[in-house]
Amino acid sequence: MKNKLLTTLLSLFIILTAQAQADVEMADTMRSEGKIYVVVGIILIILIGLIVYLVLMDRKVSRLEKQLSDRQR
Amino acid sequence: MKNWVKILGICLLLYVHTAGLLAEVPRLNILNETVRALYFHVPMWFGMTFLFTMSVYYAVRYLRNPSPELDRKVLEYANVGTVFGILGIFTGMLWANYTWGSPWHGDPKQNGAAIALLVYLAYFVLRGSLDNQEQRARLSAVYNIFAFAAMIPLIFVIPRMTSSMHPGSGGNPGFNAYELDYRMRMVFYPAVAGWILIGLWITSLRIRLKTVEETIIDIEDEK
Amino acid sequence: MLLTLIRKEFMLELRRKAVISGIGLYMFSLIFICYLTFSLRQNSINEATWSALFWLAILFSVVNSVAKSFIGEKRGVSIYYYTLASPQVVILSKILYNTLLCLVLSFTGYGLFALFIDNPVQDTLYFLLTLLLTSMGFSSALTLISGIAAKANNSHILMAVLSFPVVIAILLMAIRLTKNVLDGIDRSASLDELLNLLAINCILTALAYLLFPYIWRS
Repeated sequence: MKNKLLTTLLSLFIILTAQAQADVEMADTMRSEGKIYVVVGIILIILIGLIVYLVLMDRKVSRLEKQLSDRQR
Repeated sequence: MKNWVKILGICLLLYVHTAGLLAEVPRLNILNETVRALYFHVPMWFGMTFLFTMSVYYAVRYLRNPSPELDRKVLEYANVGTVFGILGIFTGMLWANYTWGSPWHGDPKQNGAAIALLVYLAYFVLRGSLDNQEQRARLSAVYNIFAFAAMIPLIFVIPRMTSSMHPGSGGNPGFNAYELDYRMRMVFYPAVAGWILIGLWITSLRIRLKTVEETIIDIEDEK
Repeated sequence: MLLTLIRKEFMLELRRKAVISGIGLYMFSLIFICYLTFSLRQNSINEATWSALFWLAILFSVVNSVAKSFIGEKRGVSIYYYTLASPQVVILSKILYNTLLCLVLSFTGYGLFALFIDNPVQDTLYFLLTLLLTSMGFSSALTLISGIAAKANNSHILMAVLSFPVVIAILLMAIRLTKNVLDGIDRSASLDELLNLLAINCILTALAYLLFPYIWRS
């Protein structure tokens, strides 16, 4: 299941990156130098960090709920 | 909230934040590379509208059948919606500064969004100034519905009547081009869905936290 | 029942002469300040400034006068109504009465503006129609909100905060209509806005009618 998702995502990616046309000025040099991956990496790290924080909070609330229901009984 | 929904939301966001930066976008004048901001700025508005609508939905349900649980939901949906709205307005101002020349450009959609935020800020002020819990819940639900209904023409009707710098209205051919671009849709729709799911997750978390808090207060009272 | 309640509103209003004259004086001083400011430089007022000043004066006096429809009322009085009439009748009578009040206020305001400052309106009939529609909208929105605000502690501040986002849709339409009227644009151009205003009024009145019983209950 997960593999399938990954492959579809990857193929989508390849399609999306395949086309190119150059008449309007874009940050093409940055892309060709590969520095864009640094930006992507930084953004992903922040995003993942925030999500992990959210997950931890979720688990903490679940634990609290459980404790509370135990005490009420 | 089911776990797979959360995982779906996370996956969508991870996909959006990679593809949003790496995937090819249409080459447009003025916008240049900033067209990618669409993936990150616009979903905030969709999230805000969705969460506010949920808040109104629960307000209606509260009035039909009052319970403190529903009131908590109304409040928390409005809360998280406001956070999304504030993020949307700041990202919008930054983007507008580069493409339109000034952070506040008097665009009808921008004004409508600011008013939507004002409505909910007024809603929080109203809640703050009522002491009785039951009365607070009831009156704020009434105001929530009333103000939301008064806002609808402002956000959905007026921008379509006048020229706006946002796509979909007025004469901005360069901006309208990406409306129909399938490459951008592939990232944009997942972005909207992902942020809505994350918004729902945060809201549900806050609601649970509030519930726990209130049961603790109840237990303390019984002692 | 409805008529009796409206008549009661009139009777009460006429008995409290201080309130009426207070509102009148409030508006007069607002307009007089505008006049004093602009009389320093003759002919410096253009259409945009005129419409901004006019709507500001109207908005402030209307908010202040409608606010007292619930805020000023004593606790015992509302309990007395509760035994007499259904909430729907109460809100309808208040809305109708406030519509009249707003109408009188806006017409007086217009007259004072014409007298003191200027009368750049080219299409008077349409302008009066705009005033009529906005009065209806203002009164239905503000009556309900004053009902909410009356229950809270700091009602007068709350009234202003709560009403602003609600009436801004009406105000936006009104300003656009005023611009058309001032420029003397063909009437067909402003028909859209008039219909829009009417639609907003219908939404607001219907909602006030539906939601008021929930406020009333406490």
